[in-house]
Amino acid sequence: MMSDILVIDDLRKSFATGFIPRQKEILRGVSLAVEPGEIFGYLGPNGAGKTTTLKCLLGLVFPDSGSLTIFGQPHLSLRARQRIGYLPESPYFYDHLTAFEFLDFYARLFGLKKKERGERISGLLERVGLADAGRIPLRKFSRGMLQRAGLAQALINDPDLLFLDEPLGGLDPIGRKELRDIILEQKKRGKTVFLCSHILQDIEMICDRVAILVSGRVVSSGRLRDLVSEKILFTEIEISGVKREDLLGLGESLAGQEGRVLLKVVGEEKVEEVLALVLRSRGRVHSLLPRSLTLEDLFLDMVKAS
Amino acid sequence: MMIGAERRRAGSALILGFLLLAAAGGTLALKLRSEDIARARIPGSSLRFLPSGRYLNAVSLGYSSLLADIIYIWAIQYYSDPAITDRFSRLDHIFGVISELDPKYSEPYLVGALIAAYEARDPGLALKVLDRAMEKNPQDWIYPFEAGHYAQMMMKDFRIAQEYYRRAMELPDAPDIAKRLYANALFKAEDLETAWKTWLEVYNSAPDDRIRKIASNHLYQVKAVLDIKLIKEAVARFQDLFGRPPLNLEQLVGAGLLKSLPRDLDDRSYAYDPETGEVTTAVIPWKR
Amino acid sequence: MRRIGIIALNTFREAVRDRVLYLLLFFAGATILLSRVLSLLTVGDRVKVVMDVGLAALSFFGALMAILIGTSLVFKEIDKKTIYTLMSKPLHRFEFLLGKFLGLALTLLVMISLMTVFFQAYLILLGRRGDGRVFLAALYIFLEVVLLTAVAILFSTFSTPILASLFSLSFFLIGHFSRGLQTLIRKVPAGFSRSSLRLLYLILPDLENFNLKTEVVHGLPIPANLLLTSAAYGLFYTLFILTLAVIIFRRRDFT
Repeated sequence: MMSDILVIDDLRKSFATGFIPRQKEILRGVSLAVEPGEIFGYLGPNGAGKTTTLKCLLGLVFPDSGSLTIFGQPHLSLRARQRIGYLPESPYFYDHLTAFEFLDFYARLFGLKKKERGERISGLLERVGLADAGRIPLRKFSRGMLQRAGLAQALINDPDLLFLDEPLGGLDPIGRKELRDIILEQKKRGKTVFLCSHILQDIEMICDRVAILVSGRVVSSGRLRDLVSEKILFTEIEISGVKREDLLGLGESLAGQEGRVLLKVVGEEKVEEVLALVLRSRGRVHSLLPRSLTLEDLFLDMVKAS
Repeated sequence: MMIGAERRRAGSALILGFLLLAAAGGTLALKLRSEDIARARIPGSSLRFLPSGRYLNAVSLGYSSLLADIIYIWAIQYYSDPAITDRFSRLDHIFGVISELDPKYSEPYLVGALIAAYEARDPGLALKVLDRAMEKNPQDWIYPFEAGHYAQMMMKDFRIAQEYYRRAMELPDAPDIAKRLYANALFKAEDLETAWKTWLEVYNSAPDDRIRKIASNHLYQVKAVLDIKLIKEAVARFQDLFGRPPLNLEQLVGAGLLKSLPRDLDDRSYAYDPETGEVTTAVIPWKR
Repeated sequence: MRRIGIIALNTFREAVRDRVLYLLLFFAGATILLSRVLSLLTVGDRVKVVMDVGLAALSFFGALMAILIGTSLVFKEIDKKTIYTLMSKPLHRFEFLLGKFLGLALTLLVMISLMTVFFQAYLILLGRRGDGRVFLAALYIFLEVVLLTAVAILFSTFSTPILASLFSLSFFLIGHFSRGLQTLIRKVPAGFSRSSLRLLYLILPDLENFNLKTEVVHGLPIPANLLLTSAAYGLFYTLFILTLAVIIFRRRDFT
């Protein structure tokens, strides 16, 4: 679509590896499109090529063929890069600078005026939870603090398109929630977020659309809602007080402990039958959990298929 | 990627290529120009600080013989530059350093001595260089041999020469001529007794007729000098006693001044000229 | 342009906070002071020894600073991946490289100026009137060091600091001995070998162009066209090296 903020078309990239250099194909024709204002999830197992795709987008690596367009501009143009932000995986920064100097450096690159820089940096430090750490040299930062500083740097120019590469790894649950909140806040402000990750629970929570990358190709993409159906796959029922023989044919017994049985039942009719049986036998239902297709299931299926 | 971006990339590649060529061209052109600029040279300024040999040895980290080569090669260039007027003042130091770095390296000793003797016209300095060579290589005959030459030919100091030759001849593999040179130097240094003894040894151990003849000629000479000295003393005493020189040599015997007339090695008598008082050999020694 | 300046200032700040720099500065100062001891061993003009050692120290330690810091400049960014965030900003690759170069050149300007002032003060202390030509010699040492910086950065774009240091050091040594090739050329008979040697001689760097030590120490005249030609030579060679570095760096994949 014309309004797409980011378009990748048939991106291919190989690297020469090994002592006797041999071409190894990493990206074998990746194509996807990101709409403005959405949170886009880019998933894939390790080694699929997620980071390589990002590096192509950001001009760190030069593709063999294919086209990349950001804001309708060629991806390497300065105008495009003026409006993007990037947080790399396990980032390192200039040890000798303080957090403030570090952000000021990047702010200057964007051409921000002195007063504006000061305000924006203080605001950002607060937003990422580093309000008191402005004057501390980065070499004294913990891993979590570095991650926050990295996020601050990615937001320094108030980017319309934010690239995040595995931002949630290494954060504690509180940190993860805070980051999720910031991402959602970006969406609320009308910004777009491109999120690379393999932590599926977080993706499920916040992404609008996803693309799944396996072995250098996008094997599945679309709205999360569409890909992950709400159809109930099976139901897990934990019961007690029912004779084993009576349960035969109704479902798969998953576990048994102290007289309780965990049953995997497929189909609504069978569930009703089990419930009726429990009632007749004067047994008890301890828990009932319908399970629908999760992103993880879809993901594992995709990986298995290739 | 859009066509525009590709064109821009090609454009910048062109600019870079042009810049590269222009810079390369400019550099070469300026290098050529710089060749024409005469830089003031202080001849010998490359020698500003040549540290002592021991220090260099320690610092050279096991590459001392390579360093010796390099310094030696440089030294040759240095000594062939006539513009360096005071280049000989450091000769001992420079060749001392080379010696310290590689004591067994023989060419620098010999060439250093050569330069000292023939270019600096300082045979004493040449001997100094060769003395150092002998100190570090006591078993090599060549150094005292050369030293003997310099002492004998340039300094005309036969006493020193014979010492060198004696040392040379006693070393392993020394050529036979060393001994003969020794004997000759002895003769010239007027140590006739040892000269006679040595020439006798040469005569007796001569491997062929040629050497034997040479030895014999020298023996003849030594004897002749001794005999003539004796005769001349007698003539002088005759003069004192009788107020006039003798008419012939027999008169000396007759006067009781000599027991008998010495004869030369070939058993010939010596010639006497009563007018001049000169006593000479009947024949020229090497034309016997 | 503005962005080059930002990178340059950041590089300057980084270099100035590098302890290696101060260590080398200390050794340079120590060498200058030690030259006095050396001068006591010679007979005659003692100040000449101090002059010689002082200028040699300036040249040597300046070169060492350029090589040691220059070779790690680009490598550190790539190795530590700080270049990832940097190159995703609106910044051309050549701006990054030039910024690094100018930042280090500025650092070296400050360092060499400090050493020169210290040296000049020491000379005055020893009784030799302030010699303006010492500053001239220092200026040309600076030009030489700037060229070395470009070389160090060039090697830093594609090899590790250790290799890059070795290459840069070789450049330095070859640069000071390349004139010796002339002696060899004279002794080779005319023909293919001589022409190839001559070509080699023209291509190899001639760092003796920047060496005004002999003239300054002995009070010899320095012709103006020597100054002009040497400065221009340095400029063009530096431009060549930097252009080469930009070309190598522009399409480099940061894996």
